[in-house]
Amino acid sequence: MALTRSPSPANRHAAPAGEAVIGAGTRIRGRVTGEGDITIAGRVEGEVHLRGELFVAEGGQVVSDIDADALRVAGDVEGNIQVTGEVTILAGARVRGDVRSGSVSLDEGASFDGRLDCDVRLPRELLLADEDEDGATIRR
Amino acid sequence: MASTVIGAGITIEGEISADEELVVQGTVRGKVDAREGVTIEAGATVEADITAGPLTVAGSVIGNISSTDRVDLQAGGRVIGNVKATRITIADGAQFKGNVDMDV
Repeated sequence: MALTRSPSPANRHAAPAGEAVIGAGTRIRGRVTGEGDITIAGRVEGEVHLRGELFVAEGGQVVSDIDADALRVAGDVEGNIQVTGEVTILAGARVRGDVRSGSVSLDEGASFDGRLDCDVRLPRELLLADEDEDGATIRR
Repeated sequence: MASTVIGAGITIEGEISADEELVVQGTVRGKVDAREGVTIEAGATVEADITAGPLTVAGSVIGNISSTDRVDLQAGGRVIGNVKATRITIADGAQFKGNVDMDV
């Protein structure tokens, strides 16, 4: 999957405002907060609260609870995840923890150990006929 | 090749250890331990003791600085704290309050 906002090599140091990269040789212990997108290729232990997308790159390790607008994982995440938008767990990624999000996609080859809690729209034919159309309650 | 950039909207409270170039555009509170160069850009705030290779400051630093190389305090930059370095430049327009310790 291609990065949609990868900076060109020429301005690698001049990341657009609000974007951040934790490189492979960097380790952070503590709280990471703020607005903007973060790519983690290094290690973060602590807490992440982000208004923006968090991308845990291949080789990246995050041992912390994560609260973000969106999350893509190609590396390792250990902690509970709360995301308003989409969580994408890519092939080769390893996630241990509970995930609560708007939606989740798990690629083939990804490893996931935890609970998933997200809103699922069931197709109408799976809903019982005696329920109302939006399937507020489902009995089986 | 790889480097770390703490973007303008980002705050880190804690400890950063970096074996690569570190650029701070946002806020860091705690401790910075870097082996390579550190650049604190205009608008950035660092409230931390800093250990680094070459250090460039165009933003604000409150904390003690220890550099194995040079410290370059640029115009508009501000340092409150002691600086230990092999070489130091303080540009016209920079603010500095603290002691300088150089091996002589």
